[in-house]
Amino acid sequence: MKIQRTLLYRVVCFAVLFMGALHARAQGNYEIQVYGSPTVEPKTTMVELHSNFTPEGSTKTDDKTYPTNHQLHETLEITQGINNWAEVGFYLFTSWQDGHGVQWVGDHIRPRVRVPDSWHWPVGVSLSTEVGYQRSQYSPDTWTWEIRPIVDKSIGRWYMAVNPALERTWHGPDTNQGVGFAPAAKVGYDFSSKVSGGFEYYGNFGRVWSFSALHDQQQQIFAVTDLNVSPKWELNFGVGLGSTASTDHVIIKAIVGRRFDWGKRSPVD
Amino acid sequence: MVNRRQFLKLSGVAGAVLWNRRAFAFDQPDYTLTIASTSLEVAPRRFIKTTAYNQQSPGPLLRVKEGVPVTIDVANQSDNDEIVHWHGLFLPPESDGAMEEGTPHIPAGKSARYTFTPEPAGFRWYHTHTSAGSNLKKALYSGQHGCLWIEPRINPGRYDQEFFFALHDWEGTLVGSDDGSMSAVYNYSTVNGKVLGFGEPLRVKQGQRVLLHVVNTSATDPHWLACAGHQFRVVALDGNPVPNPRVVTMLHLSPAERITAEVEMNNPGVWVLGEVRKHVQATGMGIVVEYAGRSGKPVWQQPQTLEWDYLLFGAENTSEHSAEVKVNTVPLSFTSKFVGHGAMDRWMINGRSFPDTETVPLKLGQRYRLIFKNESKDDHPVHLHRHTFELRSMEGRTTRGILKDTVLVKAGSVSEVEFTANAPGLSLFHCHQQDHMDMGFMMLFRST
Repeated sequence: MKIQRTLLYRVVCFAVLFMGALHARAQGNYEIQVYGSPTVEPKTTMVELHSNFTPEGSTKTDDKTYPTNHQLHETLEITQGINNWAEVGFYLFTSWQDGHGVQWVGDHIRPRVRVPDSWHWPVGVSLSTEVGYQRSQYSPDTWTWEIRPIVDKSIGRWYMAVNPALERTWHGPDTNQGVGFAPAAKVGYDFSSKVSGGFEYYGNFGRVWSFSALHDQQQQIFAVTDLNVSPKWELNFGVGLGSTASTDHVIIKAIVGRRFDWGKRSPVD
Repeated sequence: MVNRRQFLKLSGVAGAVLWNRRAFAFDQPDYTLTIASTSLEVAPRRFIKTTAYNQQSPGPLLRVKEGVPVTIDVANQSDNDEIVHWHGLFLPPESDGAMEEGTPHIPAGKSARYTFTPEPAGFRWYHTHTSAGSNLKKALYSGQHGCLWIEPRINPGRYDQEFFFALHDWEGTLVGSDDGSMSAVYNYSTVNGKVLGFGEPLRVKQGQRVLLHVVNTSATDPHWLACAGHQFRVVALDGNPVPNPRVVTMLHLSPAERITAEVEMNNPGVWVLGEVRKHVQATGMGIVVEYAGRSGKPVWQQPQTLEWDYLLFGAENTSEHSAEVKVNTVPLSFTSKFVGHGAMDRWMINGRSFPDTETVPLKLGQRYRLIFKNESKDDHPVHLHRHTFELRSMEGRTTRGILKDTVLVKAGSVSEVEFTANAPGLSLFHCHQQDHMDMGFMMLFRST
């Protein structure tokens, strides 16, 4: 645990030194997660609660969205395994904030496929696509689509994942902006069989081939820990810092997931 | 005039020597094995590139006679150093086929001659005894295995036909498992190198008594076998007759274990003899049993449970030794060390990994009881070279008379076996799961 605290302290110092001036504006921090390539097993449902609180976010906006400061986002994610290489996820986004109470934000659906183990690829590879709606008070772009390639690899105690996601707005001010580039990445280290720690990076560079100016980009880095206490549970906690004017200053996130097996498994299955 | 075979028997010569082919040009071996890469068709148009003996997997069935010296030449035409272990035989360290004991390896491109007197009688097997590391195409993951039958001096021959089956898993991938470590999953599982329905069926006649010799040659996985419409009468475990042959509905074999069982062919039809677990049979493990004059789609009857108990076959009387027999105990604790979710666990015996494990000194002629305490989350099929041991206690239940060379010690359990140190020199003891032995689950006994 001492190592983890040291790690966290270092990332906070790093971020404070290099962030520069921060003028955050709204962004969709409802599910803050770097995807790994494995999919949920068939006959299994994964239920996850994503809790993201913004202690320091935007206090005013110019796009008619609510400021993010002190918003608590609770997202329920339910993922059903289809077979040993496919799953479908459903999202219910909510937000709580002083003056607005608990609000429904939107819903997404996310089918995902992966390269089966039997293909013997040297890295885990998966492809996710996510479509959904969010209310204009929380995102000026109400209908969006995302395609997210996922590549990951575990080597000894190290884990690496990259998600170079591409986004497209179907309804909203960015409809004519074309495809946006929003990569995410993770580096983790296994301190023990149950405790891992590392960093997650989330970015939004704006349009592909024509990135936005730096202060309009979103750049975040999280210090995170994953607790592998049981195959049935997924626990991830982190503190994130935004390093551009368009990014929330500080976000605290937590993911609590539980797998449920459906039907009695026979020993001969 | 004494011929070579008589000379070997008289002199007790046994060993493995690297040789120049011309040196023995006039002295023909009983068998020749050639280690080379080959392409096996395990399913229609599905080929697996592997290393095998004589371009086939399993390798040729070696039939030798108990107590009659044998010479086997092995040519290593692969790109790697190799060695052949004669599993279950009482051989000296220099020919047993384990470099850790002192048997020389066979360098790539070289040949070796193994000469030994085969004992004890029964169903044995031979296989490579090298390390695979993270290459799941090498060592026991490859096709380097074959059946070895040591014909007993007296064979009652209570059967009409006999068949030898090697169960094997192919094309493994390391994936993360529920316990946080990595383990292998396989694309194909075969009986004698063929998936269900692809190989020749087992052709039998009504009224026959068939003797099956089954060995699990898988690098890592146990297997359960059932024969639809039939039962097995288990007569030997690891090639050694059991004191109490019993009829069972299914067989369980951990890696390296063998079972010899009789099957009464009294239910005419076309049946499946296959893996009980659905997902393993789906990857191919099974063979068709076809009665003469019968045709049609093979019938499988899916069992709903997995049942196996070594102790069924033990002697009825499990009383202790007489007071005169002094038995020394050797406690062996099995543990693992986590080294990352992207790596195979490190394995330890009494807190140490090979080659840092203790070499335990044994006194020749002394009886020893090994107490296996498996403190890990994995099962371990542990194998003692150059000896057979007697099962004495499995998870707190005592037994007598079951002689084996490999026994499954379940996760979190304690098992006890006894043996007499009667083989001078080094004897290797290890888990027969390739990934476990590669990661340190080995140790040596030295009998003097």
